Amino acid sequence: MTNSSTVKAGDAVISIRGVSMSYNGRRVLDRVDLDVCRGEILVLLGGSGSGKTTLLKHVLGLAKPEAGSITINGVDITCCSPSELGTVRRRIGVAFQAGALFNSLSIEDNVALPLRELTRLADTTIKLVVWMKLIAVGLSDAGSLYPPELSGGMRKRAAVARAMALDPEILILDEPSAGLDPIVSAGLDELILFLKRSFGVTILVVTHELESAFHIADRVAMLYQGRLIAVDKKEQFAGHAHPRIRQFLDRQPDAMPRVAAEEFIASYLRGVQR
Amino acid sequence: MTVLEQVGRAAIVHVEDAGALTMQFWSVLRKLPRVLPMVGARRRWRSAVEQMLAIGASALPMSGAMSLCTGFILSLQSASELRRYGALEFVVDLVVIGFTRELGPLITALSVSGRSASAISAEIGTMVVTEEIDALRVMGLDPVEFTLAPKYLAALITLPCLTILSTLCGIFAGYLFLAFSMDMSLRIYLQAVAQAILLRDVAFMLVKSLVFATIIVHVGCLEGLRVRGGPEAVGHSTTAAVVKSTFLIILADLVATAVFYLMGWSSAG
Repeated sequence: MTNSSTVKAGDAVISIRGVSMSYNGRRVLDRVDLDVCRGEILVLLGGSGSGKTTLLKHVLGLAKPEAGSITINGVDITCCSPSELGTVRRRIGVAFQAGALFNSLSIEDNVALPLRELTRLADTTIKLVVWMKLIAVGLSDAGSLYPPELSGGMRKRAAVARAMALDPEILILDEPSAGLDPIVSAGLDELILFLKRSFGVTILVVTHELESAFHIADRVAMLYQGRLIAVDKKEQFAGHAHPRIRQFLDRQPDAMPRVAAEEFIASYLRGVQR
Repeated sequence: MTVLEQVGRAAIVHVEDAGALTMQFWSVLRKLPRVLPMVGARRRWRSAVEQMLAIGASALPMSGAMSLCTGFILSLQSASELRRYGALEFVVDLVVIGFTRELGPLITALSVSGRSASAISAEIGTMVVTEEIDALRVMGLDPVEFTLAPKYLAALITLPCLTILSTLCGIFAGYLFLAFSMDMSLRIYLQAVAQAILLRDVAFMLVKSLVFATIIVHVGCLEGLRVRGGPEAVGHSTTAAVVKSTFLIILADLVATAVFYLMGWSSAG
C-alpha cells in the first residue's frame, strides 16, 4: 500500500485508516488506508464489485466499518455521536450516482432544500443562492423543471448544484459520468475542474471511467477486491506496473479458465451434433 | 444441536424484526409533532396535507362506493330472512350496528390498504433504490421526520374521517333498500337509526380505525425501507405490503372484537 509521500499528515481532510468490512463472510473492504488532501481531486478507480461504493457509504457515515477509523476534519466518524456526525456532514456535499433528486420537488426546490431545512436564511437570500448555484452548474434556465423532465446530464448537474448548496469543503461525486455520452461527460469534467478552481473544494470522485478520471484527477487511487492496490499522482499512476492496474488501464478482459472454456466448447459441440 | 441452532437463529431474526418495528414506530411517534402546522418545522405540514389528499381524499369514492354496496347487500340478505319472522324493521338495527362496530372501519381499512399500503411502500422503496433516503441522511435531514412522519399523520387523521363517511354511506344504503322495499320514510328511518346507534360503538369504531391506520402506514413504510437492490425489489415490496397489511387488519379486528365482547361492552346494545 503506497501512501503518496508528498502528503503531509495535517493536510488530510479525509483520512481512512485500516477500514475493513465484510457482508455474509465475504470481505468487501480489506484494511483500506487512504488520505484525501485539502484542495485536491482524488479519483477512486475500481471495477464493478471492487468495494468503491461500499467505501463511499462508510465515508458518508451511512455504514459502520468492522475495523479501522475514518477521520473527517479531525472527527472520527466511526465512533462519534450523531450530532457530531451531523456537523461533519454539513461540510460535505454529495452527488449520488442517479442524482437522488426528490421527484416531488422542482430543481430549484431541490437545491433550496438543504438551505431551507438547515439554515435560517430568508427566502429571498435562499432564492439568490439557489440561482447562483444553478448558474455555476449551467442550469440557470431549468430551475422550474422537475427531475423526471431532465436529461441524464442535467440531472447530474442538478445533483452537483444541490451538493454545493451549503458551500461544502468536501464534494463527493459517485460515478458522475456513468451513463452519459462523451460530450456531456466531458462537460461534467469541466464543471468539476471549475468547482475546484473557483471554490477550492476538496473533491473525491468515484468512477470507473478512465478518460475522465485522468483528465480531472490530481491523484488516483485504485481498489481491487476490497483492497487499495495503489494511490499515486496521476502521471505515475498511468505507468504503474501492478498487473491489475495494467489490466484495468489497458482494458484487458479476465482470462477465462482454460479447462472451463474447453468444457464449454465441448458441451456446445455435443449439443450441435445432436 | 443443528436443529436447535436453526430454531434459535430464526427466533433471533424474528425478535430483531419485531424490535425494529417497535423502534421505528416510537421514533416516528416522537417526530409526529414536527409535522403539525403551528408547532412543527416550517413547511413540513404541507407534505402532510399532500399525503392526506393522497391517502384520504382520493380513497373516498372507492370506500364510499364499497360501503354503499355492502350496506345494500347486508340489508338485502338480512331482509329476506327477517321478513319470514315479520321483523323487517330490524334491518335498520342490523345495518347500523354492523356498520358502526364492524363493517365501516373494516371496509375503509381494506380499501385504503389496497390503495395506500402499496403506494407508500412503492414510494419509499423507490427512494431507497435511487439513494434518496441516503441523500436525506447525508444532508442531515432525518428520513423519519421528512418522509415517514407526514404519512403517519395523514393516515391517522384521514382514516377515522373516511370511516365515518363510509359508515354513513352504509347506513344510507340501508335506507335506500327500506325506502324501495317497504316505502319507509327518511324520518322514521332516522329515528330508528338514532335508537340503534350507540356512542360507545362509535368510539370503538374510531379506535379501530386508528389501529388500522397505524397498521397500513407502518407496514407500507417498513416494506418500503426494507427494499434492497434494484427496481424489481420495489414490486415485491408493494405486494408484500398489501398482503401483510390486509392480513394484520383482519387479525387486529379479531383481537379488538374479542376484547370488546370479553369486556362485556356489547351487552347494553
